[in-house]
Amino acid sequence: MRRSELHFDAVVIGAGTAGLVAGTRLAQGGAQVCVLAKGVGSTHLAPATIDVLGYAPDRVPAPRPALEQLIAARPDHPYALLGTDVVGEALSWFAEIVPRGPLPGYVYGGSLEHNQLLPTAVGALRPSALVPETMANGEASRLERVCIVGTPALRDFHPSLCAANLERAGIEARAVSVDVKLDRADMNTLGLARRFDDEKWRRQFCSELSLTLRAEEAVGLPAMLGLRDPHEVLADVEHRLGRRVFEIPTLPPSVPGMRLYEILRSALRAAGGRLVLGAEVVSCDREGDRVTAVSTHAAGRDLTYLAPWFVLASGGFASGAIELDSHWVTHERVLGLPLRGVPAEGEPRFTGSYFDEQPMARVGVAVDSDLRSEGAENVLVAGAALPGAIPWREGSGEGIALASGYRAAQVAGAQVTPTAATV
Amino acid sequence: MVTLSTEVLVIGGGATGAGVAWDAALRGYDVVLVDRRDLAEGTSGRFHGLLHSGGRYAVKDPRAAEECIGENRILRRVAADCIEDTGGMFVTTPWDDAAYADRFAKGCADTGVDCEEIEPSEALAAEPRLDPKISRAFRVPDANIDVWKTVWAMGHGVQQRGGRLLPYHAVTAVHREGDEVTGARVRDTRTGDELDIHARVTVNATGAWAGQIADMAGIEGVRVLPGRGIMIAMNHRLVNTVINRCQMPTDGDIIVPIRTVSVIGTTDQHTDDPDDHTVSQTEVDAMLDDGEKLVPGFRRARALRVWTGVRPLFEDAKASDTDTRDVTRAHALLDHSQRDGVGRFFTITGGKLTTCRLMAEETVNAVVAHLGDTRPCTTATEPLPGSESGENYRLGERLGRKEANLLDDQIICECELVSRHRLEEAMTRTASTNLDDIRRQLRLGMGPCQGGFCIYRAAGILHGHDGLGAEQAGQSLLDFVQERWKGMWPVLYGDQLRQVRLDDWIFQGILDVEHLGV
Repeated sequence: MRRSELHFDAVVIGAGTAGLVAGTRLAQGGAQVCVLAKGVGSTHLAPATIDVLGYAPDRVPAPRPALEQLIAARPDHPYALLGTDVVGEALSWFAEIVPRGPLPGYVYGGSLEHNQLLPTAVGALRPSALVPETMANGEASRLERVCIVGTPALRDFHPSLCAANLERAGIEARAVSVDVKLDRADMNTLGLARRFDDEKWRRQFCSELSLTLRAEEAVGLPAMLGLRDPHEVLADVEHRLGRRVFEIPTLPPSVPGMRLYEILRSALRAAGGRLVLGAEVVSCDREGDRVTAVSTHAAGRDLTYLAPWFVLASGGFASGAIELDSHWVTHERVLGLPLRGVPAEGEPRFTGSYFDEQPMARVGVAVDSDLRSEGAENVLVAGAALPGAIPWREGSGEGIALASGYRAAQVAGAQVTPTAATV
Repeated sequence: MVTLSTEVLVIGGGATGAGVAWDAALRGYDVVLVDRRDLAEGTSGRFHGLLHSGGRYAVKDPRAAEECIGENRILRRVAADCIEDTGGMFVTTPWDDAAYADRFAKGCADTGVDCEEIEPSEALAAEPRLDPKISRAFRVPDANIDVWKTVWAMGHGVQQRGGRLLPYHAVTAVHREGDEVTGARVRDTRTGDELDIHARVTVNATGAWAGQIADMAGIEGVRVLPGRGIMIAMNHRLVNTVINRCQMPTDGDIIVPIRTVSVIGTTDQHTDDPDDHTVSQTEVDAMLDDGEKLVPGFRRARALRVWTGVRPLFEDAKASDTDTRDVTRAHALLDHSQRDGVGRFFTITGGKLTTCRLMAEETVNAVVAHLGDTRPCTTATEPLPGSESGENYRLGERLGRKEANLLDDQIICECELVSRHRLEEAMTRTASTNLDDIRRQLRLGMGPCQGGFCIYRAAGILHGHDGLGAEQAGQSLLDFVQERWKGMWPVLYGDQLRQVRLDDWIFQGILDVEHLGV
């Protein structure tokens, strides 16, 4: 069978934050870019705040100095390869592209100078560097009195537990439950966000809720303030309730994460990059130390993508791109690249206490200081595929994804001679 | 100190103890049942879920085979709702001694175990994932049994007849007055409160721990050798029939489909400590290899969790000088008045879940005789609460209920289809703040995500339901997260590790449960 071949300046594998950022930056630099992905990435699961460094291991009040300390203490950490300046640049770039995206007026705020503490669905206070405007009013220092609002129709958010834990953290909080009628019992925040997009439904919700509210209290809702126009939904709800309102991220699917995905996807498109979903990379061609092409099997046909540069942003164990098999051997499954951080044979992989650091936690694709894979000189690695971090524990996932995607594009872009658009 | 008087005190809330309590309550005795933990949290809750046909013992231990098939027929009626009639098969794989199959068929015929040889092609048509190289196949009436449902049904039956269940009450002393046992002192392990229980008869039904309780009564030589075995639950029903290798019983030769999973078992390692739950890598690897022999591709399925159970293997140090009881017999009933000259005290140990009713019957028969009463046993005909209709459990039952009420009730645990209504009802019924207790009643968090989604939901509902403090609700959540992890980490690979990473993101990344209240 003849293989269909497509040529690009760079091919990015993975459509999470890291892959979309790398693709967008490369495309903005004039390169012909294609982002290939099996499916959407972790954006749809995560709270969509940009967490740079939340715990090290104590709660981090200001990311910048804590980053410097982390870089000094852990030379194997992704941030040590990236450096604080790249993190700062990537964050600034991100904050600028958000308002140019498909969600009018929607912005992210914050900086590396201090972390914002936002309530989680269980009522803990989680540190984030950049947060969407829909969550900003939940910042703990701005909360004096708060009413956490849920609905029995939503099994993924429990306002009384959230409020009670906020009380433990010293915030005056109470909970209210609004009984909204829905057409099914198992509604999630995505279904409710679509209701919030509807102005009439929103009005009804607000009029029922306002009866239960007290003076001078802010309102925290599960993160469901609309998918299409969250800026307008927030403004409208705040206006109707006459108070500050904020979203609290909860169990997946993540509505703010879907917004983030739309923002990044539209930035890639606007820069001229291509995105192909449902295109799992099933094989690659190599010449010596270089990967020359990757192939996908999608929509019933095989396609081969050739490029001088590849960015591997396919994620770690969570996405399935890195796997530990039943014979206890660890593999990078997309390009077969060597890994780092795997416990030696006979050493424990996990320990019996869940909240201990697990020996397998820092496994990732082995790279040099330019994010270049040790197994292929023209493959750059970004995001959760990188070794050395425990992002879900450190609160560093989006920071690493954003900065490493940004950095990978710098490294590759510096060496890509943009081809004239080949039609 | 608070004191309590009863006729029959049963120590041990496993299948045997609950069976004894149920039997005694049916015969009209006032009963108190105590356990140091929750009901069926020891050996009973730590097996593969097999209701034996007796086939497994047909050659090795004909008497056990006869007991099993007899009890199998009874339990299908009286515990109908706890049993799924999957049927079972014994298959000869290329690794098995081909000559065993004929001995097996003869053994079944001799012991009355219903057994029908079928063509291997028929076996493969019924269970397409079996190794196509099987050379012989036999159908037997194996089934699966939900032990928690069974034990709690017995417990509810006891309560309905005025008996009392005291889970989380550990025996701290067994009371002796001269040559008689008169009861026990127990401590509520949650509150620390102590309670004295006076009883006309005390039954020690503590399985692998029976020697410890006998020691407290000043009785020597009750030696129970704990035999530790591991079991691994695989995601999905890799088979829908209980599959046994047709060979002399050994390790890793049986796969039991139960509820949404398949359980492979088991091993047998001697241990000195019945609370030893270590799982070795070697055992796990051996079990996965054994799985491949029955179901090729077994290793590519998700291993959800592993657990260990300890069989009580009784070895009576006094057997030679007291009676000629057959020491190979699966269970042992000790009347300590005859054995040790200590009255009003019985020990029942050994045995297997399939024969728990029979063990209870024999025990209570001895109690009745000891008390000079004549009260016949009715457990073979009286259905357990919930099993009155005589209908067996069907796999689609929960889904059927859900589909009938799509709009009425939320599903809290999607893997096991646990609805909010049933969760709240269980919280009320058990009055427990321990989500693991709730799990055993409803199978909450026992599916592929191992609680990733339902633990937060359940903790939120628990908090709202019980008016628990946030601290307690948070602790329940953390405890349950740790409890689920305990069974996962020794078998963590492949897609289950992927799942765990998603759960890491939920618990640590999204909810940040480690930093509550600060």
